[in-house]
Amino acid sequence: MSLYPDNELRSMLNIFNLEKKLAIREAMIESVGDGLVATDRDGKILLMNSAAEKMLLQNAKEAIGKNYIETVPAADKEGRIIPGEKRPLHAVLREGKSFTNHSANYYVRKNGSKFPAAITTSPIKYQNSIIGAIITFRDVTHEKEVDRMKTEFISLASHQLRTPLSAISWLVELLLNGDAGKLNKQQADLLGDIYQSNKRMIQLVGDLLNISRMETGRIIIDPKPTHLGQLLEEVLKELKPKINSKRQKLVISYHPDLSKINIDPNLIRAVYLNLLSNAIKFTPENGEITVIISKKGSNIISQISDTGWGIPKSEQRKIFQKFYRGSNVIKKVFEGTGLGLYLVKSIIDASKGKIWFKSQKDKGTTFWFSLPISGILPKKGDVTLSS
Amino acid sequence: MNSKKPTVMVVEDEHLLLKAIERKLKLNNLNVIACESGAEAWENLDKNQKPPDAIWLDYYLGDTNGIEFMQKLRNNEKWTDIPVLVVSNSANPDKVSKMMALGAKNYLLKADYRLDRLVLEIQSLINNTKTLKKDGQ
Repeated sequence: MSLYPDNELRSMLNIFNLEKKLAIREAMIESVGDGLVATDRDGKILLMNSAAEKMLLQNAKEAIGKNYIETVPAADKEGRIIPGEKRPLHAVLREGKSFTNHSANYYVRKNGSKFPAAITTSPIKYQNSIIGAIITFRDVTHEKEVDRMKTEFISLASHQLRTPLSAISWLVELLLNGDAGKLNKQQADLLGDIYQSNKRMIQLVGDLLNISRMETGRIIIDPKPTHLGQLLEEVLKELKPKINSKRQKLVISYHPDLSKINIDPNLIRAVYLNLLSNAIKFTPENGEITVIISKKGSNIISQISDTGWGIPKSEQRKIFQKFYRGSNVIKKVFEGTGLGLYLVKSIIDASKGKIWFKSQKDKGTTFWFSLPISGILPKKGDVTLSS
Repeated sequence: MNSKKPTVMVVEDEHLLLKAIERKLKLNNLNVIACESGAEAWENLDKNQKPPDAIWLDYYLGDTNGIEFMQKLRNNEKWTDIPVLVVSNSANPDKVSKMMALGAKNYLLKADYRLDRLVLEIQSLINNTKTLKKDGQ
């Protein structure tokens, strides 16, 4: 028989349980490696774990009760302090939706130094109202450094590869031209194969360089008022010999009064070049290629269709991935690096456009991409494509 | 060296590339001064009374780079008029615009061009310069 009445015992046990639960939670919060901060609905700090203290060089006891946005300033890539109303916490407390920044912002430590942080801000909800927010973050200095080193390595390696590749190309060219004596047919054929393989390698290195430029954001975006029809004509002039050699029919349609749009002609040129080269490559002789440029709402849509071998349905989700090459064409077409469409997608993303496609095996493929009539903003950088 | 044939100075620090370029230019009836470094090029320019009719210049050389080379070339009256064709492996816009501002006639990416195309390029540089000189007389 207990000393206490039943209901009292139960409530005591509840308190013990509650305390135990709290102890567990506190230990959890303290032991995680990510920084964790809780605020009330006014953005005042309620809790700051040790990882957050360490990363921000703050003292939790002093920080509690202070406004988070003021106590922990955030900066953008250029080092400018982000104003309070643009901080995710502001929106999360008002709208109640979680927010994760993938492209790291910078947190400013108490001593004024900065570090790149991946930050997630989530609301705390109680009975349908927002009573505060949880901010978790981690220092991504090391990740960023590794990423930079990876890209730098690709860029450096590609540049280094170009020299021996040029040497192979030029030396084989001398042999093929008969500059070192007349070749018999078999020798010429074999050297021709070496020349083609080497050309493919040069293309691969060029594509890898371009991709590393897009991925690091080092690329210059230099928008100029551009007539897409004229840009297309320039690209087609370059591709005409290939189209003629496969006796393919070409149909082009665009309104002559198509308004000029402010895009980077160098980048969009690469989009047309890649999509059209693919259409020519993956369409058999006597096939048909159609290009239509038209205005739709606030966008200009370019459509590139072919009557080629198409992309097998099961592979369609992979087509914008690096090194993807269609299993149905890999034995028919030896050129190509599998990097073209990945590059195209990166350019369209950087140009605030969209790209989509429809394809049926042995019937053909159509790609569409849109570009905003309002154009895009310039971006500083230090490289262009194919330099 | 046949004095009737035009002379091209090739400055390229990659031995194999230099060998290929030299061979091709000679086959196309041009005299060649092949230099594997900036220093070698200066030595030759100093030594020869008559400057070459054109210079085929790589950008990254072991002991110097294209910009330094062009600056030095343009600072000496004897060499200011030599047309220069830059043929390099790296052509970022900054480099290209600096080289063109210093008076390079063209800046081409090695991997993009066949050797015979580059020979045509240098031949047309030589011919254009000759025509200009004639017109100026």
